[in-house]
Amino acid sequence: MTAPRIDAKVVMLGKESVGKTSLVERFVHHRFLVGPYQNTIGAAFVARSLQVGDKVVTMGIWDTAGSERYEAMSRMYYRGAKAAIVCFDLTDSSSFLRVKFWVKELQNCEEHCKIYLCGTKNDLVEADRSQRQVDFHDVQDFADEIKAQLFETSSKTGCNVDKLFQKVAEDVSNTDFQLITEEAGVDLGQKKNAYFYSCCHH
Amino acid sequence: MSQKSERRGIHVDQSELLCKKGCGYYGNAAWQGLCSKCWREEYQRARQKQIQEDWALAEKLQREEEAAYASIQGAQSQPSLTPFSKFEEKKTNEKTRKVTTVKKFFSPSSRTAPKKESHEGKAPSPSITRQSSIETDRVSRDFVDFLKNLQKPGREIHKQCRAFIENMANKKDLGADELSECVQDFYQNMSDRLMTHFKGSTERVERVMDQVEKYIMTRLYKNVFCPETTDDEKKDLATQHRIRALHWVTIQMLCVPVDEEIPEVSDNVVKAITDVIEMDSKRVPRDKLACITRCSKHIFNAIKITKNEPASADDFLPTLIYIVLKANPPRLQSNIQYITRFCNPSRLMTGEDGYYFTNLCCAVAFIEKLDAQSLNLSAEDFERYMSGQASPRKQEPEVWPQEDAGAGRSPGLTQVYQSLDLLTGLGARQDRVLEGARSLESDLISWQESVEREVQEILEKYPLEIRTPASAIDSDNVENDRLPPPLQPQVFAG
Ligand SMILES: Nc1nc2c(ncn2[C@@H]2O[C@H](COP(=O)(O)OP(=O)(O)O)[C@@H](O)[C@H]2O)c(=O)[nH]1
Ligand SMILES: [Mg+2]
Ligand SMILES: [Zn+2]
Repeated sequence: MTAPRIDAKVVMLGKESVGKTSLVERFVHHRFLVGPYQNTIGAAFVARSLQVGDKVVTMGIWDTAGSERYEAMSRMYYRGAKAAIVCFDLTDSSSFLRVKFWVKELQNCEEHCKIYLCGTKNDLVEADRSQRQVDFHDVQDFADEIKAQLFETSSKTGCNVDKLFQKVAEDVSNTDFQLITEEAGVDLGQKKNAYFYSCCHH
Repeated sequence: MSQKSERRGIHVDQSELLCKKGCGYYGNAAWQGLCSKCWREEYQRARQKQIQEDWALAEKLQREEEAAYASIQGAQSQPSLTPFSKFEEKKTNEKTRKVTTVKKFFSPSSRTAPKKESHEGKAPSPSITRQSSIETDRVSRDFVDFLKNLQKPGREIHKQCRAFIENMANKKDLGADELSECVQDFYQNMSDRLMTHFKGSTERVERVMDQVEKYIMTRLYKNVFCPETTDDEKKDLATQHRIRALHWVTIQMLCVPVDEEIPEVSDNVVKAITDVIEMDSKRVPRDKLACITRCSKHIFNAIKITKNEPASADDFLPTLIYIVLKANPPRLQSNIQYITRFCNPSRLMTGEDGYYFTNLCCAVAFIEKLDAQSLNLSAEDFERYMSGQASPRKQEPEVWPQEDAGAGRSPGLTQVYQSLDLLTGLGARQDRVLEGARSLESDLISWQESVEREVQEILEKYPLEIRTPASAIDSDNVENDRLPPPLQPQVFAG
């Protein structure tokens, strides 16, 4: 079999049509498809390698079915994940409420899974500020509280998409390193995260 | 003379119905002409013999392998693997183990049920046993061939695997979870050591681990697939019944984006169904996984052709559910449990195969829990469909004219007729085969009789008589006088 070896499982979570599939599609194929009939694009599983320092990290990205029908089964998908990108739509406040559900689930069942909050469709908010339904500071407070990283992305313009996945890859690579040094009894201390939405937020 | 009894082997007479062992009971074709008691004894012996043969082969392979190593030994001094710690010792530090086994990911609450009474007649027929023993031999040979390329560490790996299998043979009484833990510990132990040996080249480690899994699981399969200590079998039956009870679920209810009217699509659907059914016939966990992956790829094709664009997770899961409902794959729960317990976790948890496997688990969970709401039906409708009082298809406005001799028939009906035609054809062919067999049998009987007759005639015509030996070898030769005179030795001077 020639399937690539996966270093880390990354799972996409979030309410239906917040833009999970579009995000993966933008990251992997550098494209964005618009139109009502094209909301389902890309493959369900993709493997993608990123360079981190002198290492290559291969992530297996698991897209999930957004329909509430399958919510009861969502635990099966994030088992063993190193990272979860929990998405919400910046123009839809109800989608942020759903975020809290997944975060709680992840904290309860998957303590080793790092959480990334991702506000999507940033381009809509940029174009028309009144569209924003999720307050930036509320989200940031929540992110701080759960010690998660926060990104605001647009799959349409590509803003912050690569940065998000690059950060995930770096963390994966660092945790692997940490595990090894932990075993050897060396504590490198917690690296403070320096990442924030540099191109979209001011 | 044994002629008489040999003849009986072909000719069917009353005595043929009795047990071949001559114990006085009736025999049965299914038990190769023996009565059940004699067959069981016979089978036991065959099994014993097979086990001995297995060991002999393993020993032979080991010797071959040792010889092969001896021949390369001098030239290279490869660093060898440090011997593996005994598996018992390993179990004591289990709690400190960092890597969680995959089983824990998929079945957090699978506890072993109390031991069931062993049922008789579960034993496979000797011919099946032989078949699988041929496969086992082939896998063993492939394994040794593969390990030969690794030189000295290869030998160590082989030794460890054999010791492990031997060890497992004494652990038949363990529950499924413990068996799984043993195997997972072994994988972990082996890959840790390989990791050190290959200096962190995960690719090479994985290549070896794939072969290790294939070798040990082919040998352990019979004892650890759907073990009697679990209720896997009961769950299999429950799922099978459940799926049968849900026969009325339509593509529309599940929102499956697949149009089976398109021949290419229905072709992919059929292939997907075949793949998921085929999973049961594989013995190596990774081979079973590969069936699920193949099934998934066919599903993606079916969706892609229907929608004219690539499928996403939102399309895939409902379609997989639909395929599972249509296929009703044999021993579905047993297979899922087996993969979960005995697959090498590095593949299962993160890779592409793992993604499809998780979706399959999810599909099965969905089918188990499925209710009116999950299909957007009213509770009453759901009940009526489940109890068989009504069928959703009947309420659809499309009614196909019945008398129209095929022209306006529903696709389902057309298929039924096609299948009936096929069956009729098959029936006729079987009759012909039987007829052929009967005539072959009578031909054989008459042929034997005619040969016997001829032999008898010849024996009568030329009664055996012992003659005194002739003076010269060629004294009987009728045409002696036509031969040239024998050569005389000539003497050459000088
Ligand atoms: N303007 C804009 N639309 C987006 C963006 N991301 C997704 N969409 C649209 O949102 C809809 C749902 O996206 P999809 O990726 O299918 O959501 P999913 O259900 O979470 O996978 C589609 O119509 C997309 O075109 C974005 O960044 N900007
Ligand atoms: Mg999607
Ligand atoms: Zn008998």
